[in-house]
Amino acid sequence: MVDHFDVRLVKLARQGDQEAFADLVDVYKDKIFHLAYRMLSNRHEAEDIVQETFLRVYKNWERYDEKQKFSTWLYRIATNLCIDRLRKRKPNYYLDAGMNDQEGLDGYTLIPGDERTPESEYLLTETQQTIHYAIEGLPAKYKSVVILRYLQELSLSEISDVLDMPVTTVKTRLHRGREFLRKKLQHKVL
Amino acid sequence: MDCKQATSLMHEYLDDELFGEEALSLQRHLQECPSCQMHFKELEQAELMLFATIKRSSLSASDELVDRIMKSIPSQQKQRAWLQWVKRHPALTAAAMFLLVMLFSTISLWNSDDQLIVKGKDLDHVVINGRTVTVPSGSKVAGNLTVENGTAEIYGEVEGNLTVIDGSYYQASTAKILGEVRSIDQALDWLWYRITNTFTEVAYR
Ligand SMILES: [Zn+2]
Repeated sequence: MVDHFDVRLVKLARQGDQEAFADLVDVYKDKIFHLAYRMLSNRHEAEDIVQETFLRVYKNWERYDEKQKFSTWLYRIATNLCIDRLRKRKPNYYLDAGMNDQEGLDGYTLIPGDERTPESEYLLTETQQTIHYAIEGLPAKYKSVVILRYLQELSLSEISDVLDMPVTTVKTRLHRGREFLRKKLQHKVL
Repeated sequence: MDCKQATSLMHEYLDDELFGEEALSLQRHLQECPSCQMHFKELEQAELMLFATIKRSSLSASDELVDRIMKSIPSQQKQRAWLQWVKRHPALTAAAMFLLVMLFSTISLWNSDDQLIVKGKDLDHVVINGRTVTVPSGSKVAGNLTVENGTAEIYGEVEGNLTVIDGSYYQASTAKILGEVRSIDQALDWLWYRITNTFTEVAYR
């Protein structure tokens, strides 16, 4: 159903229908933003990525293969832009990033209903922060795989389409990324 | 099974790709090996935490982002501005139709000069047949191509801009136009100018 809706919007947008394009932006902006935020840990940069992603979509419609899912193509563009940014970052900036940008840390997301107590709020915020930093510390090549897996819940073969690499490579990276996170979280959260 | 093999199977399990005999042998190893059991528990919990934390924290981009993006994309529809105006103002457009009658004489004047004009630095590869100007597949026009009062059919490559004035164009799937494609309808744009200006005059009278 959602896919069908997508296909129609994509068709119209490709033909130059600006309203359909704006609808596509509306449907996907938060997903791309979330992906970029998890990759870059910076709200401002993440918004830049969203903008740049849609600009590329607009300029490169002729490269889009309609047999492929639109979301896969979109994730591919966004992920590549994020990886480029991570590469260009100076190492010291990389370490600083995210330290003063905590907007993404929402301490409430794990608490069910109204059972919040000040202690649990505090603990969960700590937990979330720990996870946030653990993800941030992931080397870029594991990061993209891990984020696509846990944030977008893509299957291994979908991730292989997005990142344009063999499923075996995706597997290896996911396994290493998972081990990396396990070790980071070992004594803090688990 | 050794512990290294067990670790690899744990990941297969977390990837939802471990079934049957292999799943059973992992289970057997975990029952006998406390360190793998610990390892597995940690992996499973890390995975749960990741799903819960990443997936359920809802982050959203700022609301004005859509506007900003729509403003940043190059608008190719500028030539059609009059058409959008017509769509938005049907009543005024109907009134404008009356004025059309008055303007007919001027339009026919406009149309009297309607011979085919093809402009470009490199026209060797362009095939002209009647009012149809064709860039055949496999051939390349260096620089811009302008076609006035005719149809442009592009199968090959145009390295510059394609401009069609008072005509139409067809772009085959094999076509490659590196520059901008513009379609200018002089009569309509001019007519449009006249109509809007007439209205302004009427409104202020
Ligand atoms: Zn073992």
